[in-house]
Amino acid sequence: MALSRRTFLRGTGAAGAAVRIGLPPLDAMFNSHGTAYAAGKEAVAIPSRFVLWFNGNGIPERYWIPAETGPSYDLTPCLAPLAPFRNDVHIITGLDNPASRLPGPGNDHHRSMSGLMSGTPFTGRGAGGPSIDQLIAAKIGGGTRFRSLQIGVCQESHGESIHRNMSWSGYERALPPELLPHNLFDRIFGVKEPSWVGRKQSVLDAVRDEFKDLNATLGKQDKARLDDHLASVRDLERAIVSLPPDYAKVEEPEAGGDVKDYPRVAKLQTDLLVHALASGQTRVASYMLTKCQSLVRLPWLGYTTLRHHDYTHTNSESPRAQRIMRDICRWHVEEFSYFVAKLKSTREGDGTLFDHCTLLYVHEHAEANIHKNNGLVAIVAGGRRKLVTGTHSKATGTMGDLYLAVANGAAGAAIDAFPTASRKLEGVLV
Amino acid sequence: MRRLLVLFAIAALISPAAIRRLTHSQYNNTVRDLLGDQTLPADNFPTEDFVHGFKNQASAQDIPPVLAEAYDSAAERLARNAFQGGQDANHLIPCKPRNAADSACAAQFIRAFGRRALRHSLTGPELQRYQTLLLKEARRTGSFIGGAQAVIEAMLQSPKFLFRFDGPAARLSYFLWDTMPDDLLFNAEESGALSTREGINQAVRRMLDHPHAKESLDQFVSQWLRFDLALAAVRDRSLYPQFTPELAISMTEETRRLIADNVWNGRNFMDVLTANYSFLNSDLAALYKVAAPPSEFARVDFPADSGRAGVLGHGSFLTLTSKPGDTSPTVRGYYVREQFLCQQVPDPPPGTNSNLPLVTPERPQTNRERLKVHVENATCAGCHTLMDPIGFGFEKYDAIGRYREKQTILFFPDRRAKDQTPAKVVVDLDTSGVVSGTRDSAFSTPKGLGEVLARSAECHACMVKQLFRYAFGRMEETRDGDTIAGGLEAFRGSGFRYKELLAFMAESAALRKGGN
Repeated sequence: MALSRRTFLRGTGAAGAAVRIGLPPLDAMFNSHGTAYAAGKEAVAIPSRFVLWFNGNGIPERYWIPAETGPSYDLTPCLAPLAPFRNDVHIITGLDNPASRLPGPGNDHHRSMSGLMSGTPFTGRGAGGPSIDQLIAAKIGGGTRFRSLQIGVCQESHGESIHRNMSWSGYERALPPELLPHNLFDRIFGVKEPSWVGRKQSVLDAVRDEFKDLNATLGKQDKARLDDHLASVRDLERAIVSLPPDYAKVEEPEAGGDVKDYPRVAKLQTDLLVHALASGQTRVASYMLTKCQSLVRLPWLGYTTLRHHDYTHTNSESPRAQRIMRDICRWHVEEFSYFVAKLKSTREGDGTLFDHCTLLYVHEHAEANIHKNNGLVAIVAGGRRKLVTGTHSKATGTMGDLYLAVANGAAGAAIDAFPTASRKLEGVLV
Repeated sequence: MRRLLVLFAIAALISPAAIRRLTHSQYNNTVRDLLGDQTLPADNFPTEDFVHGFKNQASAQDIPPVLAEAYDSAAERLARNAFQGGQDANHLIPCKPRNAADSACAAQFIRAFGRRALRHSLTGPELQRYQTLLLKEARRTGSFIGGAQAVIEAMLQSPKFLFRFDGPAARLSYFLWDTMPDDLLFNAEESGALSTREGINQAVRRMLDHPHAKESLDQFVSQWLRFDLALAAVRDRSLYPQFTPELAISMTEETRRLIADNVWNGRNFMDVLTANYSFLNSDLAALYKVAAPPSEFARVDFPADSGRAGVLGHGSFLTLTSKPGDTSPTVRGYYVREQFLCQQVPDPPPGTNSNLPLVTPERPQTNRERLKVHVENATCAGCHTLMDPIGFGFEKYDAIGRYREKQTILFFPDRRAKDQTPAKVVVDLDTSGVVSGTRDSAFSTPKGLGEVLARSAECHACMVKQLFRYAFGRMEETRDGDTIAGGLEAFRGSGFRYKELLAFMAESAALRKGGN
């Protein structure tokens, strides 16, 4: 029988020689006001985090978009799961995704996805540039064990790159999400022997040296590809050598279990993400609940006749189809609401982890059947004292404008420009 | 907006990278042949995406951090498994180390293993690098094997292992065998035998007779015909209770066997579209309502009057092009255009309303009637006349490939109703189909379309193009005109023997400078 790395390391861990990783922000690390890390002489501000949350396919607008704007809007059926947190979230509607309408290859799903994530048109193979989470990671991800994490839940899609990935490090360069909780656990919280780190470093030293032999002989494109690979090896090395001490709170998800029981998987992935954020292992993450043009079946909602995408185009104006889409989109919000609840229940400084997170919840389309790519909806949450919350606004601007506002104003990433953005969206920042 | 367009135009000019990475299946096969490891570690890697219809296209073969991590964990485990219990069961070390720091033996091991793992004879600096690593880890662990293990772990992460800086030996083996070269190929490359056309041809003939060639063809077929879509298909249980994951597997197995039988027995490859026989297990025989095979997946001949023939009559094609509750003439037509004619059907314009007219007990409609909206609307008609009329010819084969003389439409009552018996309406089916743009292409059965395609020059050329895309990991370009034409000549000239096409493509790949 082949031993998995986890089993193996567990075994050696019992001898007491293992190193657990990830450090929770302990109270001792805060100053008397609880607002900053007290490490060293100067207090260090609690770092801001950013999470981009994606849901495939569009919405039934009538069940999603509140009729009223302002703080006293009525929660719609899709937004109902956010009732306990209505003061913590900002519902923004009316956003535009103009890059999805530029001429070029692809259908409405390909085009919307590339435009939504990167502000650039679909290339025929992938997104035309880096996604917003990666632009933010480039600014604020440098000091953590993982520059960013990509996490996913549902797997069913048409299988192309643009369907399966939401994070892009550059032109056609996809960053695939980790879909299995026990793999994600292993990456972030796997237990390691101290001697393991030593060997890994020697091995990766040799691997890095291998790149030196190649560069001279390669063309520009190949060189870029090799540079990317080398950057990945360096990221790996950083993750290996920056193992902070014990963070014992995290329970390892079972390797078995139904990997298609998506409400269960979503919560496991969310738990791991919250722990990763809390223990300072990353400041930036993307969370792909369902794939672009998602083909997920939804037995837990009682809808097994068709798949999500089929429902959006099968007699979609009928009351029945609209109700089904309502329930599906409410489920998306439910899982997001679970994430908010988890963050709010994690103490950090004088508040909670939620206060230092900027969450951005986006959908592939507005009205699903017609692949509407203007009038899009978004939910902005977290970022205490920085973000406007507790209201519904109708915006006039692009997704890019919204990204510029939250990146600069709340996530702590100084980003001057984003394709399709002309300004920071008004009404988002305090 | 203008700036965006300019950026886009610049990006489009950048040609896709030439260098290719091992595919997941090549990774699995390579570690099997290199280390004797059968654990298929790449099955746990992040899934490969389809680009240009295949999972092996160079433009999608980056190594993002999550893949580098997966390579790292796999390398660690593979290196450990290679010396289970501290023993060299696979004889990877060609000498008996006198002690942990035996540098002569270290050099011997590194030279021999590195030659196979990195697919070239190691240079001085490379030897030095791995020697340093081996001795350092041997010292730390107190065993020579501990050092050798670190060398394997490192080599399996080297860009020279993961990317393909191939000579002709590896170009041949990764195309024809989907794995690393064997010793004979390595030796042929070293002796210069692979620098002549005759030498390459000799190697190709030997390789085509090896079992690896069959596995490799299966891999190509499963991607070309998108078996993944059949295996991931879901069906409405109330309409298709007999559709199970096992049945889907049987369907892909049927197609795999028909093509393997054709290729390796030297039949005319176009028969794959017209064969009036197939390879069935009892589930499929029951589905097709033909006599059960004498043994599972034995050859079964279809009745003479059967409209079912060739892969277009297979459950795999008929299922993977259908929706959960219904056939889709549009998707069936799209698939025929893309897979068998290599024609790209444009995507629907932005903002398309893709709702079709509702089917009600009062207005029961066939798909042919419902899809009339596609031709009545000028925006839709341009492309849908290319697809829908092909699909109409298959309407007597339902969403899991069963034959139906007429279509029975079921209407399920509201969930709250006491009586849950569905209302049934039976409608007649008109299966006259046509491949618009192709002369004399009227047909009304899968067999009929199979015959149209089998004599279509465009289809013959498409067979060559599909294999080219897979072999070279990219779309054909203007500069590939000679290769495509030569391939077509070899294919047609041999009476459409696929082995000849494989041989031609392998030789072209081996002869190309830089393999591209």
